[in-house]
Amino acid sequence: MNSIFKIILIVCLSTQAFAQKVIPPEDSLPLIKISSTSQDYNIGQPWEKNPTSNRRGLGVLIGKNQILTTAEIAANATYIELETVNGNVAMPAKTIAIDYEANLALLSTTDPAHQKELAELKPVLIAASAKLNDPVQVYQIEDSGKTLVTNGVVRGVDIVSSFVAGHYFLTYEIKASMQSASHSFTIPIIKNGKLLGILTSYNSKDQILDVTAPEIIQSFIDDAKDGEYTGFPSLGIGISRTDDPHFRSWLKLDDSLGGLYVKQVKRNSAAQEAGIIEGDVLTSIDGNKLDRKGYYQSETYGLLYWSHLVRGIKKVGETLNLELLRDGEVIKKEVTLSRQQDGLIPSHMYGKAPRYLIKGGFVFQELTKAYLQAYGDKWKTRAPIDLLDVLNHPEDYEKGRERIVILSRTIPTEATLGYERISGAIINKVNGKNIADIPSLIEAFNTPAENGLHTIELDNVLKTLYLDAETAKKVEADFLKQGLPNLSRVK
Amino acid sequence: MKLFTPSLICLALCGSLTQSNAQALDSPSPAQPADAPTEVKLSDIYKSVVRIEVATQTPSYRTPWNSGKFSGGTGTGFLIGKNTFLTNAHVVSNARRVMITMHGSARKHPARVLHIAHDCDLAILQVEDFSPFEDLSYLSIGKVPQLESQVRVIGYPVGGDRISVTRGVVSRIDFRSYAHTRSDQHLVVQIDAAINPGNSGGPVLQEGNVVGVAFQGLTSADNTGYMIPTPVINRFLTDIKDGQYDKYVELGFSRFQLFNPAMRKAYNLKQDDPGILVARIYKDGPIDGTLEEGDILTEIDGKLIDSSGSVKIDGERVNMNEIVERKFAGDTVSLKFIRNGKEQTAEITLKYFPAAEMYAVQYGKRPKYTIQGGLVFQPLSRNLYSELALSNPRVRRLFTKYISEDIFQEREDILILTNVLDDPINSYISSFTGSAIESINGIEIKNIEQLHELLNPEEMPEFFVIKCEGNNRPLILPGKDLKSNNERILQRYGVEQPSYLGK
Repeated sequence: MNSIFKIILIVCLSTQAFAQKVIPPEDSLPLIKISSTSQDYNIGQPWEKNPTSNRRGLGVLIGKNQILTTAEIAANATYIELETVNGNVAMPAKTIAIDYEANLALLSTTDPAHQKELAELKPVLIAASAKLNDPVQVYQIEDSGKTLVTNGVVRGVDIVSSFVAGHYFLTYEIKASMQSASHSFTIPIIKNGKLLGILTSYNSKDQILDVTAPEIIQSFIDDAKDGEYTGFPSLGIGISRTDDPHFRSWLKLDDSLGGLYVKQVKRNSAAQEAGIIEGDVLTSIDGNKLDRKGYYQSETYGLLYWSHLVRGIKKVGETLNLELLRDGEVIKKEVTLSRQQDGLIPSHMYGKAPRYLIKGGFVFQELTKAYLQAYGDKWKTRAPIDLLDVLNHPEDYEKGRERIVILSRTIPTEATLGYERISGAIINKVNGKNIADIPSLIEAFNTPAENGLHTIELDNVLKTLYLDAETAKKVEADFLKQGLPNLSRVK
Repeated sequence: MKLFTPSLICLALCGSLTQSNAQALDSPSPAQPADAPTEVKLSDIYKSVVRIEVATQTPSYRTPWNSGKFSGGTGTGFLIGKNTFLTNAHVVSNARRVMITMHGSARKHPARVLHIAHDCDLAILQVEDFSPFEDLSYLSIGKVPQLESQVRVIGYPVGGDRISVTRGVVSRIDFRSYAHTRSDQHLVVQIDAAINPGNSGGPVLQEGNVVGVAFQGLTSADNTGYMIPTPVINRFLTDIKDGQYDKYVELGFSRFQLFNPAMRKAYNLKQDDPGILVARIYKDGPIDGTLEEGDILTEIDGKLIDSSGSVKIDGERVNMNEIVERKFAGDTVSLKFIRNGKEQTAEITLKYFPAAEMYAVQYGKRPKYTIQGGLVFQPLSRNLYSELALSNPRVRRLFTKYISEDIFQEREDILILTNVLDDPINSYISSFTGSAIESINGIEIKNIEQLHELLNPEEMPEFFVIKCEGNNRPLILPGKDLKSNNERILQRYGVEQPSYLGK
């Protein structure tokens, strides 16, 4: 998780006039105002979307009709509008590449009439890596269209997760005293006239900006060039530090070695393909020795967390040379990096519509983290314990499954009489067929038994439910009449 | 009835209980106003209602090696026979000293707990010297009062030292949870007289007879008090006749109400056919081995069970649990059930279901623990779970599913690493706090005695490799020098005994 809190709008900032200056538009950068209207799905009623919300931020032109911004502003967007800084021209836009994990997006206008306005702007180049104490400028746009520039200093570099939990990328920590302005979301940071990064979060108390590093932006742009975006690679392991001396002596780890204990190898991951197993100790990546906490000595940045060697430096399809310790013996593995496929529970649902099926009043869904989080702030203790267990230990449920299909709720109908209290239960089989995901559930419901009953086997005190196929059909027809748009979504 | 899951989310077990109208079972006389002329004089009744003063010692599950917290409280009791005072179990739980005071007297008489039944919150006390009480009359146990009839609550609640009398009306008779153990449900009578702290254990009277023992209230509602009705009191008094309390018995299953037409069709039941579905049978329970999951239970002791799980007694529908509620360990119950379309009968010997104690708050017991290398291990229990607010998901799962997934069959105790007494030998281990122990050096942990033995072998191994549930990174404790390290740790943290395993 991000160590500093994330803000949507910046408020209550002290204005430090000496650090800011207003510069004339002609000298300014190719900045574009972005307004997005986003809508996500209603988790309890997956057939419909929630009310819309709006976000306003900035983008920066980095190529012909290519505007770079954060994924956060474009996530679940139903409409995106670009506006020139002076406010004279507004144009609709679409997302051409988006990476939710790295929190980056590329937009382009869909209106050919206005492409010339963009063409008049000179794209900015991506800066090289910055060093500690390098001076940078933070660009904001005031309502009037004036550019507001704040000076800042690079204070640190770390591996941070900015948008999707659990995905960590190289991030600069920049000290600057920003003030509130109308488009304060996703602000560009400039070093020597080149784009150093994009603000992902601001801690107003410490006046620290988290900024996506230029290496990550460059990889993202390179990946998006061919029009088919792949994404950042993963190794696919869960690790644990080796700083506990007793643990080290049990592992027969020499004091000269650091290393990370591999406590989990994900299904279908690059690590699994390469034959890495639980209990291995990862000591070195591409010749970079890892210390007991998993940091290595980076030439550019000094101590840096190991995951940058995978996600920050390499592309999908490239290889890593790993050194591991297995039962006290040094072994070497070459790993071909791949995109980590979503596990049983996807890491996020941005840009995806939840799959569901309504059968006679039963609502079936695939388990997502968002579903669990809908149990409120204390979801980690309030969500059904069986479902939390899947989130924590998907490896125990993977056999024969792509997703976990749950009976998320029971709408009281003629067909579900007596079942009203059943919800949050994992579905194992329907009509004798194993359930791997929503499509296989729909398939299984096509063949009720000869007596006209569907048999639903679930993880519950009551292990088997029966549903009358004819009554269910009647109920479903009523649902459609009552304004339910669809009885299922398969994508 | 014991709950076999810790919360109320399970399906039918604690599901919609229909109004169990217990009046019919006791065929009470017509209601009369409470202040009608009675045979027993009020002043005599007052004398037989005594004030109970208790000094308690409540163990701490957070520091199980300590003596616990000393405190105290007061309650009410009443004389029902020669040197036999009835009160609530919760008035005298964890008691170290019990004193009884008569109405209108200042003298405190030392007393002791003769019988205590936590599952129905009742206890019997005895004074050391009964002679000062010889002249008092014994209150007699009456019937279940009718709805809307008036009752009088007598006791020593907060707000003064002398006896207090309040009046109320019987507003509901229902099957309800008993707060004392948090895992038992029995018949309860709700009255609209306020029952306040100190009232507990006092008699609720109608026509000079005891119709209940005041025992709990509702924090969320005013003027709502609950009393333990006479069927529960009588059952307790009968149970202890042989000199010991044998607790409530169970059938040991979860049921599901057969309302759904498709469900009825699947089990070949017609519209008006009786019966409920046997959804889950608990291992080693009384019906385990005789009935099977999927059987339709249609009759209990010759009484037809309807599709909501109620039986008719004297024209009134009551929860079928009522039949089992009034029986004792060793009693039998006859069941009729349908399996694969064929009717079968079985005679079931009822017994206590010990695994359900996992969910009952424990009293009067010293918490078990064992400490090795500063690592404190304790068996999971309701007390431990609540007091330590255990939140590790695998621990919560083991607790929730202890009975429903037969975990108790394999593991008598679930051992939790509850605390790490910080010391150089365990400085990187605190992140494991709150985990359940799966195995030590490859041996699965089944109870605290076994864990204690494994951690205290004749010859110390090089390492103890302790695997925690849901964590693939093992906890490593070196065996070398543990004995001397232990001395230092126990001394530093003021732990007298490195373990208490019960006895």
